[in-house]
Order: sequence, then C-alpha cells, then structure tokens
Amino acid sequence: MSTEQNRDLESSLEKSDREAEHTCDVVVIGAGPGGYSAAFRAADLGAKTILVDRWPVLGGVCLNIGCIPSKALLHTAFIIDATRNMTKQGVAFAEPQIDLGKLAAHKDAVVKKLTSGLASMAKTRNVTTIQGTGVFADPHLLRVTFDEGRETIVRFEKAVVASGSEPATLPFMPSDPRIVDSTGALELHQIPKKMLVIGGGIIGLEMVTVYSTLGARIDVVEVLDGLMPGADRDLVGVWQKVNARRFDRVMLKTKVVAAEAKGDGIHVTFEGENAPSEPQPYDMVLVAVGRKPNGKLIGADAAGISVDQRGFVLVDKQMRTNVPHIFAVGDIVGEPMLAHKAVHEGHVAAENAAGKSSYFDARQIPSVAYTDPEIAWTGVTEGEAKSRGVAYRKAVFPWAASGRAIANGRDEGFTKLLFDGETHRIIGGGIVGLEAGNLISEVCLAIEMGADAMDIGKTIHPHPTLSESIGMAAEVFEGICTDLPPQKRS
Amino acid sequence: MPLVDVRVPNIGDFDNVPVVEIQVKPGDEVKPDDPLITLESDKAAMDVPSPQRGKVSEILVSIGDKVSEGSAIIRLDVSGDDSKSEPKSGNGKSHEARDETPSQPAKAIPPEPVSSPPAEAEDRSLPAPDFGLVHASPSVRRIARELGIDLTKLTGTGEKGRITKDDVKRQIARSEPGGGAQTGIPEIPAQDFAKYGPVETKPMSRLKKLTGPNLHRSWLNVPHVTNADEADITDLEDYRKGLDETAKAKGYRVTLVAFLLKSAVSALKEYPDVNSSLAPTKDALILKRYYNIGVAVDTPDGLVVPVIRDVDRKGILELSQELTSVSARMRDGKITPTDIQGSTFSISSLGGIGGTTFTPIVNAPEVAILGAMRSKMQPVWDGSAFQPRLMLPLCLSYDHRVVDGALAARFLRKICGALADVRQLVL
Repeated sequence: MSTEQNRDLESSLEKSDREAEHTCDVVVIGAGPGGYSAAFRAADLGAKTILVDRWPVLGGVCLNIGCIPSKALLHTAFIIDATRNMTKQGVAFAEPQIDLGKLAAHKDAVVKKLTSGLASMAKTRNVTTIQGTGVFADPHLLRVTFDEGRETIVRFEKAVVASGSEPATLPFMPSDPRIVDSTGALELHQIPKKMLVIGGGIIGLEMVTVYSTLGARIDVVEVLDGLMPGADRDLVGVWQKVNARRFDRVMLKTKVVAAEAKGDGIHVTFEGENAPSEPQPYDMVLVAVGRKPNGKLIGADAAGISVDQRGFVLVDKQMRTNVPHIFAVGDIVGEPMLAHKAVHEGHVAAENAAGKSSYFDARQIPSVAYTDPEIAWTGVTEGEAKSRGVAYRKAVFPWAASGRAIANGRDEGFTKLLFDGETHRIIGGGIVGLEAGNLISEVCLAIEMGADAMDIGKTIHPHPTLSESIGMAAEVFEGICTDLPPQKRS
Repeated sequence: MPLVDVRVPNIGDFDNVPVVEIQVKPGDEVKPDDPLITLESDKAAMDVPSPQRGKVSEILVSIGDKVSEGSAIIRLDVSGDDSKSEPKSGNGKSHEARDETPSQPAKAIPPEPVSSPPAEAEDRSLPAPDFGLVHASPSVRRIARELGIDLTKLTGTGEKGRITKDDVKRQIARSEPGGGAQTGIPEIPAQDFAKYGPVETKPMSRLKKLTGPNLHRSWLNVPHVTNADEADITDLEDYRKGLDETAKAKGYRVTLVAFLLKSAVSALKEYPDVNSSLAPTKDALILKRYYNIGVAVDTPDGLVVPVIRDVDRKGILELSQELTSVSARMRDGKITPTDIQGSTFSISSLGGIGGTTFTPIVNAPEVAILGAMRSKMQPVWDGSAFQPRLMLPLCLSYDHRVVDGALAARFLRKICGALADVRQLVL
C-alpha cells in the first residue's frame, strides 16, 4: 500500500472514530421485549452492548402501553365481574365505588415496578442505554437523535433492529381527545357512556372488557365477518355468547367511512352489511385497526437493509437481514406481533451476533386474548388446517364435564386439541374458558416435544383442575376417556 | 458515468468458490485494495480487493454464489477516479503493490438496465434446512443448529423415531471431515461434559475450521518421523543484530527466520529429495526446481502459512522486508489465494515464544517441515574448555516414505552448518 493510501485510510479511520461518541460490539435499537432480550443476551455472551430507545424507560410498548398495563386493568375488570356473578351463588356485593385516578395510578405503579426492574438488570449487565431515536447513518454507524435535536453517533460491529410497530391509523379520523388508540384507552381518562370500538381484534376486545365492566355501553365495528380474526370460530362463539351483554351493536362486514367531532360526541358514519343508516354519536371512539411495523423509520437505506412495502424488515431464520451483520426481531419482522415471539427472536439474533449458530426453529407461537373468558390457541388452528388441507383429527373436552369448571361456576369453556391423523402427534390446540392463557402452555410444550395423544392422555394431571381438560381431551382422542359418556368404538 | 466490472482475479487452482461475505454495498466509496467480497476455498477465506478507486454501483453476486476467475462481481463507478486513482509505486519496500494485487484490466461497459437488487435480497442466504416436521425437541434442534447438523437427514433412534441428542452427537462424529468412519478409525465417543461441570461451546474460527481437516489429512497420510539437532548461532546473532539495527530505522526487522529460509535453501539444494513431493502413484518423486518456502504465521484467527517465493533468489534484507510485510498482512486477515499456494517446504518457528523441541506436522504434499525453537546460551566443549555458545534447537519432521533418518540428519546438519557459518549462505 502506498503512503498516500495509508494516509487516506488513517484519515478516514480517524474521522469515523471522532464522529462516533460510542462504540460497541452490538447496538440494539428498541428496548421492547425483543430488544431488551437481545441486548441482555448479547451482554451475557460477552458483547459490549448499547441499547437505544426513544423512551426514557425500557420495556417498549409491551411494558409501558401494551400487555402489562392492559392486564392490570383486565384483572380489575375480572374481579368486578366475578363479584357481580356471585349473586347467583348467594353472595351479593354492593356495586363497586370506582376511583378512576387511583386505578390508573395502580396501573402506572405496576408498569414502573417492571420497567425499573429492567433498568437495574441492564445496569447489572453493563448494558449502556441511550435515550433517543436511532436511525442508521451507514452500515456501521447509528445516529441517535435526542428530543432537543441533539444527536450522538454509535459505531457498532453488529446491530439488532427491534424498533417494533405502532397503532395503524385511519386517515379520516379528526383529531379529538375523545378519539384514542390503545395507548389513549389505557390512560383511562374517562368512562364514556357510549363507546365505539373500531376493529374487532384482540386489542379492541380487551379494551371492550375493561370499559364495559366500568360502565360503558359498546358498539364494535369490524370489516371482516367475525370478531377476533385468526381464532377458530367455535372458540370465539363461546366468548361471544358470554359477552353479548356488553354490546349494543356488533357490526360485522362493516366499516367506518367518516367521523365528525361535535359537541355532543363523535358522529360516526358506517358503511356495509350491518351499518346503521344514520351516523351514530359516541362519547369515545377507540381505533384498534391493527399495528404497522416501523421498518420505514430506521434509515434502512443508509445501511442497505431491505424493507418491504408495508415496512417489514426481511430476515432469514437466523433473524439476519440482507446485511449480514445486521439482525432484526419482533413486530418489525412480521406477524404475529407478540412479545413472546420477539423475545425468542431476540435471543436468536444476539446469539448469531455473538458468532454462535442459532435459528428460530419454533414450531408454535401461542396467541392469547385476555378477555373473559380468555381464548388461547397455538400451533395449527382448525381453520388453518381446513384451508391448508392438513390431515388432522380433533378431540374436544367440554368444560361442562369438568368438576373444577363447574365448581367455579364457569363451565362455558372447552378444550380442543388437533392431532396428526397418522402419527397422532399433537399439531395444535385451542382453549376458551377461565385461565385459557395459562392452560395453553402445556399444549405449547407438547407440540414442541412432539408428544402424541397417548403421551398427553397418559400423563397424570392433577384433579380437580382446569388443566385436567387437556389430558382428558387427549383421552377423548384415544377413546379412553371415562369422564364423558361412552364414545363410539373406532 | 464510466462503469467498470470488477472480476475475480487469478485465485490459483480454485474454481467455483463460494462467496461467503459481501463487504460493500451500492453507494460505498472504495479505494484500491479495499476488500470487496470474501471467497472461501478449501484452504482459506480470501478477500477480493478493489483494483481501483470508485463508488460501488452494483453488486453482481449474492452470498452463496459460486465464482471462478473472471466472474464479474461488482460494478464500480469510477467517474471520480482519475489522477488520484493510481497508487504511487511506493518506495521500493512494498513489492506487493501492483503485480501481486491480482487484477483484471478494468473493462468499460455501457450502463445497462439490470435486475433490481431488492428482488435478490430474499434468496441471498444459503437455504437453512427447515426443521418444521422433524421429530426432535427444541433442545435437540438447538444443538443441531449450533453444530450445523441437518436434522432432516437424520434417523432418530429414540422412541417413535425421535431424534435424540445422542443421535446428533453420533452424526457429528460421523461427519467429522477426514475422520472417523471413512478411515476405519474408531471414533472418540461423544460425551456430555456438562454432566461434570459448566461448559461452553465456542465456535472455531473459520480459519481453524479450514486448516483442521488439512492437518488431520497430513497426519493420517504421512508416516511422520522427527529428528532434532542444534545450531550454534553465536556469530550469526551478532551479525543479525547489526543488520536489524539498520533495518529498524527503515521500518522492518531482520529476524532469524530470514536466515532459516536461506539456510534451508542451501540444504534443499544439496538434498533435492527434501524439496519434492511423492507422485500420486507413489512410485516416483517429483523434484521441484524452485524454492518456495511456507512460513507459519500465528494470527488471531489461527495459523496461516504464507509462501515466500523464490527464496534462493532473494537476499537476507529482501526476505526480511517481505516477511515483515507479509506477516502484518496475514495478521490483518488480508490473505489472497496466491499467498498460500505453491510451497515446496515449510518452516515453523516458535523461537519467539519458547520451548526446547516439538514435532511439527508435515504440510503435505511437501515432505518435510523445519521447526525452530528458542535459542539458549549453553556450555559447549571445544576440545579443551567449555565455551558459552548460543545454541538453537531445530527439529525436522519428514515423510518417512521419502526421507529416511540418515538423510534427515544430514539435511539438519547442513542447515546447522550454514547457520553456524553465515559465510556459507553466500556460496
């Protein structure tokens, strides 16, 4: 190399060193479950790690304005509903006195406890956190902009993009404090008399549970032909029967086409099969029409990262983008947009960034609607199995035959398992009923371990529990269940 | 704008070498010798350097593509590249500058519409096997990924055909390159070390993974014998230190290795059988009339053996300069294929570290390798008294099919003689 070239090289190195205020082995953009899991795993593997997030607290949407605060409210709603149901068992409570401010404070305390726990775990691991918006400046430099417009440069060897998603919006909605997204709904500023929920997915229906229990009457509008798209209809049917009381209108195959903010409410115009002819007034409108990935906000071009039209970053099974030293995990790489998926992807990305060979080989990703009753499913759904022509056989154990469910006064649920018709190996399962979200874990493990119906049926489950229903559904499949009327011999 | 295609230079005897890394992306400014892509042969990973200054306009290959000499890899926009582009020929020290940077004459081509890169992004990666239908638990899938075992090709021995961890371990033992089952050598049974205490699986560097099978192959194929001897380098050291003082000021060092190279050539010339290879039919020796000597260099990633060419035609100072620059290049990972090909004999020096003797593995198809250890002041009987002499322990491992013990002893004596009396080297 000539001396002139040497000089060029040195000056360019000096320049980038001067520009970069921080250098690290791994930079993680986004401190939600995917991001902090990647950062912590990377640090545990010995990498000098920097975690960048636009918020001052770690945890992302999940901890701050998603999974966790919504569960604090849902649990409260559940207890209120449970006390009301006690009447038929001969125990009557007075109507609850609700201090909305105190309830919101409780929710905030829950969030704070968890996020401060994360902050201390980051500290113990020597993970440096930087608050600001991270945007790639080139394949090895990240520009982090603070609120005041100041910026810093992070020079990295490897990067993990975990920038998540944000609520999708409807362009024609006016700006009005009575129109909120999931974040606004969790703030719990008021309990409206009449509330419209746009979008019949899990997020919308969880908020329905909270607001209706606290006193709101609900209309829900959904473009598709059923609530909770993605879940099997039989599961949703049970939930819908129990929850029908919460709704004035369930407008399926209908969409919102206009909204006008007036003094007496938000006047919403509908169009579609179940649209009321007149615009309807609401005290509050929750827009829960899904989430969109943040792939277009990360400066992908500067790093050469491929992002699809919708804003998803393309990755392989190692969570590697088309730029070999840059990885992406969580909502930003695709559906399902779920924290537990992101966590596992974050670990895979961190391990690959540390030079290990790790793949996202999960066979199932569970989904849970934390409604009342809860709906949970994993693996292949029956709807999917039918549309893909999978040779499956199913077994159902109705909770009407479960001692525990009956004792709980909540026997409306059922447990459904799907098996491979030939090997009898479990390929999916769905549960509707109390605690379905906790119960589904056994099905998750069974799928990952390749258990067959006899393995599950011959596993002794404790009695009387709701989890028993999984063992019994497997027994039903094998025709050996004695807790139901005799089955036809096959 | 003037566009040129950068093509794969002469990479030696390799054809259809996979692209393992693309180090630039469209829009990058590159300078001469900046690495563009990395290729991986069976011996080493090598970077293809940019022949000139320019801006990357387009990448014409994807990871996993197989390329050969002449394959177009990158399209460079060289519009900004005129006067500044030609690297100055340096001050004579750097003879790797132009000639040895293998480059195809840049060919100007008219800009033409080409397929858009984003479409290629998805099939850029080597397809990883899908474990979706494999009957293996998550922990088994994980260990298989770590070890690069394709579970879809395994038959499980567990209950109901389940693939167990033991199945994976057995597969590793079987697929060990050059090892185990293929040669009928009993395998070392896999063990679960974690049973006895905490363990960590550390992936081997790419270099180690590549050199390991070569060493194993040599070890298994070559009947090794190692002879040891000692050279008196008392006078040589005085001479060398003098040269080194002068050299230091000029930015290079004169080490013992340069003298080992020269003395090895004098011995190879006297005993040409040692500068040979066994014919594949094993009934003849192929004697080489050139003297290219591989010098083992310790790098952060592992061992590399760059080849110093035509040692017989180079002087101590020239060799010293070359050794300094080549070692630096190897440690920086800038290995080109020509660096590691065509050696006739090898030298491994551990003198900088220590030790009294060792048994290096012959770099087959060469037939011998010289090892040098740390020199030590020792009492040597000169017939009337003990004299303090600086003694250098040397060892020679050799292929006993080609070299017998007496030849090896004579060969080593010749080297020791040349080192003891440097004047011999100029003869």
